[in-house]
Amino acid sequence: MKKRIPMKIEPAPTPQRTGKEYWRSLAQLAQTDEFKQRLHNEFPEGAQEMGNDWSRRSFLTLMGASIALAGLSGCRRPVEKIVPYVRRPEEIMPGRPLMYATNMPFGTKSYGVLARANDGRPTKLEGNAEHPSTLGGTNIFIQAAILGLYDPDRAKQPIDGRTKSDWDSFIDYWRSEPHTKYLDNGGRGLAVLSESFASPTLARLKEEFADTFPNATWAAYEPISDENIYDGLELATGQVYQPVHHFDRADIIMSLESDFLERDGNPVTNARGFAAKRKVESQDDTMSRLYVAESCYTITGSMADHRYRLKSSQIGAFTVALARELESQGLTINGLGDVSVDTTQFDQKWLRVAASDLRAAGANAIVLAGAGQPAWVHALVFAMNEALGANGATVTYHAMRDVARPRRSELKALVDAMNAGSVETLIILGGNPVYNAPVDVGFATALNKVNTAIHLSDHVDETSRACRWQLPRTHFLEAWGDVRATDGTLGVVQPLIEPLFEARSDIEVLTLIVRGTSQPGYEVVRETWRSVLGARGFEDRWRVVLHDGLQRDSAIDSSSPRLRASAVARAISLPQPSDGLEVTFRPSNVFDGRFANNGWLHELPDAMSKLAWDNAALMSHGTAKELGVENEDTIRIDLGGRSLETVVWVSPGHADQAITLLLGYGREQLGRVADGVGANAYRLRTLAHPLFATGGAAQRTGGKHLLANTQDHGSMEGRPLVREATLAEYKEADKPHFYPEAPHHPPLVPLWDPHTYQEGYQWGMSIDLNSCIGCNACAVACQSENNIPIVGQEQVRNGREMHWLRLDRYYASNPDDPNGLDEPEVAFQPMACQHCEYAPCESVCPVAATVHDEEGLNVMVYNRCIGTRYCSNNCPYKVRRFNFFNYTNDYPEIHKMTQNPDVTVRSRGVMEKCTYCIQRISAAKITAKAEGRTVTDDDLQTACQQACPADAIVFGNINDPESRVSKMKKINRDYQVLQEYNLKPRTSYLARLRNPHPELAPKVDRGHKGDHGGGH
Amino acid sequence: MSASSKTETTPVVEEPLITGNQTFHTVTDVVSRIAERKTTVTWLALVGMSASLALVLLGSIGYLVWEGVGIWGLNVPVAWGWAIVNFVFWVGIGHAGTLISAILHLFRQRWRTSINRFAEAMTLFAVICALIFPAIHVGRIWVVYWMLPIPNQMEMWPQFRSPLLWDVFAVSVYFTVSLLFWYVGLIPDLATLRDRAKTKIRKLALGILSLGWRGGNRQWINYERAYLILAGLSTPLVLSVHSVVSTDFAVSMVPGWHTTIFPPYFVAGAIFSGFAMVMTLGIIVRKIFHLEDFITINHLEKMNKIMLLTGMMVGYAYACEFFVAWYSGNVYEAFTFVNRAFGPYAWAYWIMVTCNVLIPQIFWFRRFRRHVTIMFIATIFINIGMWFERFVIVMSLARDFLPSSWDYYSPTIWDILTFIGSFGLFFTLFLLFIRFVPVIAMAEVKAVLPQADPHHGEKH
Repeated sequence: MKKRIPMKIEPAPTPQRTGKEYWRSLAQLAQTDEFKQRLHNEFPEGAQEMGNDWSRRSFLTLMGASIALAGLSGCRRPVEKIVPYVRRPEEIMPGRPLMYATNMPFGTKSYGVLARANDGRPTKLEGNAEHPSTLGGTNIFIQAAILGLYDPDRAKQPIDGRTKSDWDSFIDYWRSEPHTKYLDNGGRGLAVLSESFASPTLARLKEEFADTFPNATWAAYEPISDENIYDGLELATGQVYQPVHHFDRADIIMSLESDFLERDGNPVTNARGFAAKRKVESQDDTMSRLYVAESCYTITGSMADHRYRLKSSQIGAFTVALARELESQGLTINGLGDVSVDTTQFDQKWLRVAASDLRAAGANAIVLAGAGQPAWVHALVFAMNEALGANGATVTYHAMRDVARPRRSELKALVDAMNAGSVETLIILGGNPVYNAPVDVGFATALNKVNTAIHLSDHVDETSRACRWQLPRTHFLEAWGDVRATDGTLGVVQPLIEPLFEARSDIEVLTLIVRGTSQPGYEVVRETWRSVLGARGFEDRWRVVLHDGLQRDSAIDSSSPRLRASAVARAISLPQPSDGLEVTFRPSNVFDGRFANNGWLHELPDAMSKLAWDNAALMSHGTAKELGVENEDTIRIDLGGRSLETVVWVSPGHADQAITLLLGYGREQLGRVADGVGANAYRLRTLAHPLFATGGAAQRTGGKHLLANTQDHGSMEGRPLVREATLAEYKEADKPHFYPEAPHHPPLVPLWDPHTYQEGYQWGMSIDLNSCIGCNACAVACQSENNIPIVGQEQVRNGREMHWLRLDRYYASNPDDPNGLDEPEVAFQPMACQHCEYAPCESVCPVAATVHDEEGLNVMVYNRCIGTRYCSNNCPYKVRRFNFFNYTNDYPEIHKMTQNPDVTVRSRGVMEKCTYCIQRISAAKITAKAEGRTVTDDDLQTACQQACPADAIVFGNINDPESRVSKMKKINRDYQVLQEYNLKPRTSYLARLRNPHPELAPKVDRGHKGDHGGGH
Repeated sequence: MSASSKTETTPVVEEPLITGNQTFHTVTDVVSRIAERKTTVTWLALVGMSASLALVLLGSIGYLVWEGVGIWGLNVPVAWGWAIVNFVFWVGIGHAGTLISAILHLFRQRWRTSINRFAEAMTLFAVICALIFPAIHVGRIWVVYWMLPIPNQMEMWPQFRSPLLWDVFAVSVYFTVSLLFWYVGLIPDLATLRDRAKTKIRKLALGILSLGWRGGNRQWINYERAYLILAGLSTPLVLSVHSVVSTDFAVSMVPGWHTTIFPPYFVAGAIFSGFAMVMTLGIIVRKIFHLEDFITINHLEKMNKIMLLTGMMVGYAYACEFFVAWYSGNVYEAFTFVNRAFGPYAWAYWIMVTCNVLIPQIFWFRRFRRHVTIMFIATIFINIGMWFERFVIVMSLARDFLPSSWDYYSPTIWDILTFIGSFGLFFTLFLLFIRFVPVIAMAEVKAVLPQADPHHGEKH
């Protein structure tokens, strides 16, 4: 599994009529009408029409050389003539997966990943441990990207107007008319609207575009990005930088609404660094302290040692107040100028303590602001970091090369040009501006004034339907490309599979636009890399880059940008306090909507609200009370003359007088998953207030809309499930004391002679609740690895979600605190089968379908299960999942390609649950046995463990005292949930620690028995 | 006897068990005629309605097999819902018949003769209804036979530690013995019908069913012995079957299920609900077929007394559960019971308490014990209450150890239709029974007539 090989492959043949011609069948060669007809029938526009024939055929296509008789051209391995293997190619072993290194582009960021291919079919993505952008961890988007590849609703073939077309027609069209014309007039009337990117090849093509068409314009737009951060840094330093935060070096972190663990910056490495600094293995260890001021309760807020509930619009003033406080404590902040705020509106003590902590930490502090905050806040934050000495120490700045910065101003300028009639041809490379452009920009109207609009996109979406040409775009696992990570590290996007549909990459389309020739992306990318790697020895070095997934030592050295203090001081513009509700827009599980047709992400409960599928208007108890609404009431939100109807969900800990809306929902005709889920919050978003706006109003409309919530009850009811202590309490005590305490119980005596389980491998897991950030990456990884079905909104609403691994989210607050409901603390607990030694599920199964194996695993025998569900009833952790229906029955054929062939797909009527990734255990054992050794920690990771960006989950052989898991279980924070029941679970937890400042009393009085929860 | 100062005690003269100056002949005549007369329109209409409901059951099961148990309102954590509630409900009802036949027989409670036949029949039909539910509630119905210890080439046996398996044995043994017991009791009466039969087919069928019964002395001796042995066999079963059913819950570790009081509590509840159902049916049958002389008000009063007793036992169990939950100091148990009375299912809990504990208290009054309409209404409430008792117990699942998985269960239309359909099946079978089989054990009733007393007619 660990081994990676470079793709020893040649580029796919392209339809360009040069050289060798590949054909599917004699009929194609002959171009008979019948064949053309069939081609059309094979790629119907409507998803529902997609019959099984096509998908099965496409599957065969991908099987490449091993499917000789199909007579297909779909192979990416170096074969020209298609014959069955006579001699097995090196490294190819049927049934054994291969790992390839590649990169997942994500706006101006990218993630270095390893992709697993089973017989030529990518089935799973993991972090690339050697790549600085992931360090082996992942997030939900990386984990779910594999499903996006096999999305049956992807755009399948070019569409011209309303009719199905093909690439040849588009190429002919482009070459015949626009290309020559724009070559002649220097591109007057030509415009490109792209997404943001960080890619040497795309950047090179962009330059080439500018050279070829000097009169043409180029705009880059992203609905959700770090645009404000870049703008802020430009404001503060006069140049654009990519900031990289080193949380592993930070003692004190001040987040001003930065959700750095889930969305802002590079959350994967952020989480890794953050968790590393908070690993406590003994009572002598220390950990960092996190201060968070934010509006919507985020997972970053849940990790905070001190969280301050504040409207997004007040963060700016709060930042100024904090800077003033730092100044009053003797720190000179250049750039603060003479601006002043009324600090009495904030908790003075909180500010004073936080400032003194920051001041004391100095260069080991980090201040960072949320991507939603305006540029001047980021500029001021830069000035504060500069004053603290953090710049260059905990925050490094890397020059942005090969980047198209996202800029709303460019979009605005483009729309103005479109409205003025000066754009004849608009090429939209990715993105979906009709759906997600600020609503007051009027992109859709302006688009009507463009003669020819061309849209390259994954789906036939809102924008595609408004354009003349819709061109299908490849998934990153299908096409060549390249990226720069946030620190500038270069990497190649290496495809694992021939495009499933007639799709082409951004690079290929842009090459066509600029050069008028249809070149394979492979060649274009290699052109770029020839200059990166040098012509001499290129092939060897290229292969090393492919193998590693990155070019080593290509990170851009950090710069020491100079602060332009006066510019910062000038820019500070405190917003006028305004009446009415504040509305904040946040990316969601489907990010900005680009993953809206991804069932895994829809079914994944939101990390905090635990809402699956729909989005909702999140608000505090207080706001809900004021509005006279409760959960699942429909409300109308009015903002700046526009309105949106959505549903209320009370989110304890949200700022008062504020509503958070999640973006990316409310789609129509996009795909079978996306359609009709939630409300489109983009309809309220304006250019001036893209991420939060004030002056809104909300009104109950009297309806009810049932939401699919996976955790109805947020309180632990005083039960010792998640145990916590403050770091100080933990350090002081001889015997650490955790809240809630384990109950007293009589001696635990087994009913019968227990197995000793002393021999061979004994598997066990340890989960560090102090590291777990609740990000859900493990849950999606588990879904991907273990073929967990998507059951849909209605089933989730009925309490039938299938996730083997779930993240329990508990609110806690002091029962005496009148604000308790609104200022709760949050704790997460990943919960999956605990593999109890005395498993209560096993003794009640009438047919012995769930039993223990000799390695201590509680195994489920699907074949034997008759579905009495007694085991689920008797499972105190309620981690067993039942196939109430045949959930996999109506999978589109192409969806089946996502499935891991090493894991059984369960049918209706059987129980299932976490297996500790038994297929991975088996594979590791087989490998170890073949090599004549025993399995070690290096051989084996469960899917959740591998995905975890915070390294919270450790799995291994507990019979080996040297294994990591054995050592984890020896830490004195180790405890078992419900240990008083003598179930002897093999999964144990490390109690969570918080590190509050002694002067700020912890909100939860830990000496007090009993807590009460927010939520319901 | 004139009032005097004599100190000798007055012998208690028991009221006659059968009234209306019945003779052997009139008993035979009245009871047999019910099974012999022409099919009435009323009966046809009733069977039509019941059979339609039974078809609803069949249809619901068909859809269930086709689609999966997801058509019910089940979820995780509440993986058992109405199906198991109904199972326990019907098994409970199926207790009264055998109790009346066997235990009261052993205790020489001669008044039972008027009601034991249809009580036993009701038992059988209730157990049939009960057996349907565990069979259909599994996820893969087509392999439900794996619960049975059938020898196979894999040497794969059921898992004998599972209470569900104990259920299979307990309920099937109970059904078998109850059926035998009922049939043995029927033999003399079937012979009576055979002797009165007018058509050839009827003669033949009844002739086969009555196993050559001629009423000879030797036959009677053997018969009485067999009946006594079966009564002896059935008696422990009455207690064991519901005790075993209760272990489905008691052996698990779910708070609210895991209690040692369950076996006696379930048996008391079963007798309670069984008697209520016997009463409900008995009052109807008595009214329709004018059997007031056979099922007298005294019979009904005795039954009411038993219901009062068992109702209070059940009430005691409810209280005891609360006490133990508190006394145990176990937070999960304590929470479950507070939650039962004040949580999301409090409405069901208070329906249960009202119907099972409060309403039977009216039977402290002789007037109500002997008032047919009032007791009829009371028995309906008790039936409802006992269904809710099982519902309340099963719904302990909704809130167990980890609050993160707490959820609320509500039935779907299919849950409801399946339950209603099971009543259709029950009434269909019962109507067939009263149409074709003597509803009152003629031979036994004759034995309790004054004329059967060898000293009948002698002066004291």
